[in-house]
Amino acid sequence: MTGRVIHFPRQPLSSEAGQQAAERVLATPMIDRYSWAEELRLEDPETLLSLCGILRSQGESAPALVRDEAEFLYRFIESPKREIGLFDEREYFLGEFALLAGAACRQLSRREEAYVWFDRAEAGFRHTINAAGDLSRLGYQRLAERFEERQIDVVLELLPSLIESFRSLEMHEDALKCRFLEGLALMETDELRAAVGTFEEICEEAESIGNALLAATAYTNLTHIHGMMGNAEAAMAASSKAIPILRRLDNRVGLAKVQWGLAALLRETGQLTASIEAYRKAQQEFEAIGMRADIAALNLVVADLLLEMGRGREALAEIGAALPVISELKMAPEGMAALSLLRESARRQEINRQALRELHGYFEELKG
Amino acid sequence: MEKPSSRVPDEVQSVFDRARDVIHSALVSYYRLTETEATGAEEDLLVWFQRLARRGGAGQMPGKLLRISLLSAACQYGRSFQLWKLGGDASADPELSALLSREPDDVATDLERRFEEDRT
Repeated sequence: MTGRVIHFPRQPLSSEAGQQAAERVLATPMIDRYSWAEELRLEDPETLLSLCGILRSQGESAPALVRDEAEFLYRFIESPKREIGLFDEREYFLGEFALLAGAACRQLSRREEAYVWFDRAEAGFRHTINAAGDLSRLGYQRLAERFEERQIDVVLELLPSLIESFRSLEMHEDALKCRFLEGLALMETDELRAAVGTFEEICEEAESIGNALLAATAYTNLTHIHGMMGNAEAAMAASSKAIPILRRLDNRVGLAKVQWGLAALLRETGQLTASIEAYRKAQQEFEAIGMRADIAALNLVVADLLLEMGRGREALAEIGAALPVISELKMAPEGMAALSLLRESARRQEINRQALRELHGYFEELKG
Repeated sequence: MEKPSSRVPDEVQSVFDRARDVIHSALVSYYRLTETEATGAEEDLLVWFQRLARRGGAGQMPGKLLRISLLSAACQYGRSFQLWKLGGDASADPELSALLSREPDDVATDLERRFEEDRT
């Protein structure tokens, strides 16, 4: 925060004009944007603010695109150093685009990259007027990343403090978002009934504050848990609440996860062939948005099902498809240990099923 | 998972309008800006504040927290502007020197207290 006085060389944009400028930026190939920056009003804070909003809304429908766009915008502002807007706006935009890039990397399981983006976001947010709120939003993303690395103890230790921060800032929607991590941690520790209770509370609160997206995401998780528990009626009811909202919001990550939950239900109720088909559909949806780790995870789940059905050769092919991705994305240590065992057993054409389960257990809790 | 700010522009303008007198008097009486300089500062602060309210997460912030951010920005503005005017020299006015040595956030906290007192 420098408190410098800035005189605009051109009349600043209105918020409506900023929205239109943002759409023009996104429609322009990245390679042309530097030379057309002035015409595109790329340095105008209204344009950048609208770009933040557009990219934020696409985080769960096109994470790969959001990552690339957020990186472009971060680099554009950062170097050569550009004076953007008033007071802390340059630092805010650096922090926000880095946060968007990091969150998208998290969705795409590009973990090391996500951490670097989160560090960049912190460097920007430290200098904003509302640093406490901005850094708390960053804190949520960092905890969500730790959850995905199965550092459940760390998440449970730090979550109450983060919730308290959001509450003291009266950022109630962000406080509610934190409860997702609490519910997911319960799923991870196999406390499924308690997890159902948590997600039901989240649904109720999200609906009461009119946040359809949070409600739909909670219903998606309920679909999954009821699926894992074999509660067909409850799973179908939850999915029927989630799907229309997710479709309306074009939330493709959420839709793929509902599909995953329904596949788990089919598996749990003994409909193995239908379950494989449902997992394949979820894979197709993940493929369309570049979520390779989830595709690999489902390859392992399908391999497990195929083994259960006595189709060992096909199971090997599934594992063969997953191994390079899991290796490339450097999953957690326990996952890597299981991966070594599995790679060795695949080489010998005999699947070590325990290693397979340990590895796909990294992604979701499976029974029996 | 975040939804865009749903804050109505009128609400933002209203928060600003209610804080305007406190801001103006801080810029003129505390930081010794001229009337013209203070008016220019307020115009910049309004433009900035309207965008602040549309930032990620800020859509949920209550009016009071937004106002604290606004007062903090006003104090940072006033301090930076006066330091620029002094061009690196110390002020001959001991009250101004004492104020410039304080953190703007600290001064903003005093202003917020004053705002609350005026309201009650």
